[in-house]
Amino acid sequence: MTAYLTRLLGSARLDLAEEIVQEAMLRALQTWPYQGVPENPPAWLFRTARNAAMDVVRHESMAERKQPNVKAQMEWDPGPLDDELLNDNLGDDELRMIFMCCHPEIPRDASVALSLKIAGGFSVREIARAFLTEEPAIAQRLVRAKRQIRERNLSFDLPRGAELKQRLTAVLEVLYFVFNEGYTAHEGEDLVRRDLCFEALRLARLIASSSSAEPRVHALAAVLAFQSARLPARVDALGDLVLLEDQDHSRWDRPLIDLGFHHFNLSMQGDEVSEYHVQAAIASIHVQGHPDWSAILTLYDQLCEMNGSPVVALNRAVAVAKVRGPAEALAAIEPLIANPALREYYLLLAVRGHLLLELERREEAAACYKAALQCRCSEPERRLLRRKLAECAG
Amino acid sequence: MSQYLLLLYDNSSNLRSLSPEEMQKAFEKYMAWSKMPFTKGGKRLAEDHGRIMHPAPATGKSRVTDGPYSETKEVLGGFYLIEADSYDHAVELTHGHPHLEYGGAIEVRQIFGT
Repeated sequence: MTAYLTRLLGSARLDLAEEIVQEAMLRALQTWPYQGVPENPPAWLFRTARNAAMDVVRHESMAERKQPNVKAQMEWDPGPLDDELLNDNLGDDELRMIFMCCHPEIPRDASVALSLKIAGGFSVREIARAFLTEEPAIAQRLVRAKRQIRERNLSFDLPRGAELKQRLTAVLEVLYFVFNEGYTAHEGEDLVRRDLCFEALRLARLIASSSSAEPRVHALAAVLAFQSARLPARVDALGDLVLLEDQDHSRWDRPLIDLGFHHFNLSMQGDEVSEYHVQAAIASIHVQGHPDWSAILTLYDQLCEMNGSPVVALNRAVAVAKVRGPAEALAAIEPLIANPALREYYLLLAVRGHLLLELERREEAAACYKAALQCRCSEPERRLLRRKLAECAG
Repeated sequence: MSQYLLLLYDNSSNLRSLSPEEMQKAFEKYMAWSKMPFTKGGKRLAEDHGRIMHPAPATGKSRVTDGPYSETKEVLGGFYLIEADSYDHAVELTHGHPHLEYGGAIEVRQIFGT
């Protein structure tokens, strides 16, 4: 909706577009519980938002009577709003929005935060979590990004050529983050927020089916599809976390796995091997039931070379544990413990605890799990941590 | 079973500051409550300025003024009709209404004779 309004109002009025969306949703919140949800909720919201936008434009035109083109503004009429129009333009508007948010004049971190906020609907707090940073830092990035869009009059049109390639890198990173948050929510009652996962997958597929498609877009779509396929098995009936080795494979979504392979195959065109290609390869092994951990470790070695992120190194350590045992994995984790970015990252502590427990170093394992419980994480994960802590007592 | 009228006073500023995610959660809570078996119906009041008609003087017509609608005061936003065993029970049921969680007030009145 914000994308649609931004197209109508212009990219410089991004703040206004957001406000109008907020008002429309508020209106829905205040009326639907009494009178029921309307037959076509999105159309209702769009209509409300568009009317509010038109009111604003008219109001401003009347206030600036000296403007020579005030007549043109007052006659501004975006046309009738029917379902077909909505469906056709929505995808385009969304693509445009996300590509605009990832404009090269906006610093990468800021544009990721902006896209997450507007296209992903994240709160500042949720974005801070995804980046392992603090809220004020994110808020600042958003303010600066919007100011830049306004001051430099950044276009809402889709980029082309070399510019598109650059933009695409940032966009794919955004989608990856959105998916990540949905896959393992960082707080709250639900471990998995499927709507976020499916939103990221939907946008990835949207790009993959557009003229902006490249092999790495297909690779990302493959990763997201494979991971989404396993979502039904990640939580049990009580909403508790189910570890990978305990997952019921029959609950995996086969059509999504097929979709994953569909995009995985398409990603093989050309010579490009992006990080997403490697991740897709790892994910494709996981969905085949009995994972070949040696193959996975080799792929993680490759991924670590391409991406120096400590989180990737942590994931690699899990593979090391499966192939070479917990002691070697512990050694692989050692350098990560000193990393300040991971200090509040409960997974590092949980993995360390798990490895120590396997080595029967129960007291040290318990200390790790206790520390992990001090960090921010979702309720189902918290319950798992408590169970592991209890296991340490023997 | 007696009937009770719940008068919901809005506090838009609280709701307005919610993120889309939080709004979605709020929405689900409101919808869930509106579907409870004890809820017999409800209506939203239009935002347009309500007007107050004052008691008519001894001679002449009632004076009509603009209502209390204003951003700074809590406005009567809507009402629900519910069924409960007693006034206390009605209050107990209303405790679970998300409106209270999001900064709004609810007045509970029994329908006379029910």
